[in-house]
Amino acid sequence: MTAFVTLAGVYNTPIRFQNSGAERSQDQDLMTSRALEQFLASVEKRAFKIAQLGLRNDDDALDAVQDAMMKLVQSYASRDSGEWRPLFYRILANRIHDMQRRRTVRGRFLAWLPARMDDDEEYDPVAEAPSAEPTPARRLEIDEAIGVLETAVAELPPRQQQAFLLRNFEGLDVSETASAMGCSEGSVKTHYFRALETLRARLGEVI
Amino acid sequence: MSQESKQDTPFEERTREVLDESASRLDGRTLSRLTQARHAALEQLQRPQRQAWRMFVPAGVAAAAALMLVMWVGGPGERKSPGPGGPSPIEDFELLTDAEAPDFVEDGVDLEFYEWAAGELES
Repeated sequence: MTAFVTLAGVYNTPIRFQNSGAERSQDQDLMTSRALEQFLASVEKRAFKIAQLGLRNDDDALDAVQDAMMKLVQSYASRDSGEWRPLFYRILANRIHDMQRRRTVRGRFLAWLPARMDDDEEYDPVAEAPSAEPTPARRLEIDEAIGVLETAVAELPPRQQQAFLLRNFEGLDVSETASAMGCSEGSVKTHYFRALETLRARLGEVI
Repeated sequence: MSQESKQDTPFEERTREVLDESASRLDGRTLSRLTQARHAALEQLQRPQRQAWRMFVPAGVAAAAALMLVMWVGGPGERKSPGPGGPSPIEDFELLTDAEAPDFVEDGVDLEFYEWAAGELES
């Protein structure tokens, strides 16, 4: 028994050594996967709101967020986790921009066609409005603030909207926002300042 | 949140609070779809490993088929060669590998019909 234990000890050593590389690699993969999952879970709600305000359609917003998640994992999983946030929002911003552009082109094309449009192409403010369930006064106040603010943000020019949401809502700093928007820090400051001015002028009394 | 949030004005803070509140109220369907999207994205991390060996499967099958053909056609001459007009091994191989050809192996195929058709052609 003692001999077996001794031999087992001798033979176990190199086997452990051989496996350690693969195990380490598996451990790294697992850690990356967990870190990515945590990261995506931490940004997904705000990312959805940003896409929703940019596209004014829940299904399109979900598609945009899913595409951004796929692309981040596919192409940038091996990057340093500190880079994920600006990269993710860069991808999301591009996706939103593509979808807005496609919608504009489709709109121009449909304008040439007589009258009929698919129902799901149109933005229906009644359907998009919060449900009319009875809520306490405070809740109603917040509901109203959300509705008014979201409408105002949705009506901002796209670059101002992006700068406002990334800086104010997502909390990116100027440099990260510039990276996500693909522009200079000076442009970010200008877009953000103008967005704030517009919103303050519109909502100063309400919010 | 950003390091610069200390300098935020009360208006900026209020707008952020309202947007955060809005994000926290997402309905169950949206939250579920976001979770699905996240899982679908993370599944990609597993895929390349699975696909690596699959890439070689068609090449392996083709190599095995080619080897079988070589052994069949060019092997030692114990096998009888087909008579004139009979099917050559090359034709058999083409038939077996032809994706458009009817699948003789499947159940429900009327083999008698093919035998009859072959007899008609010969007569």
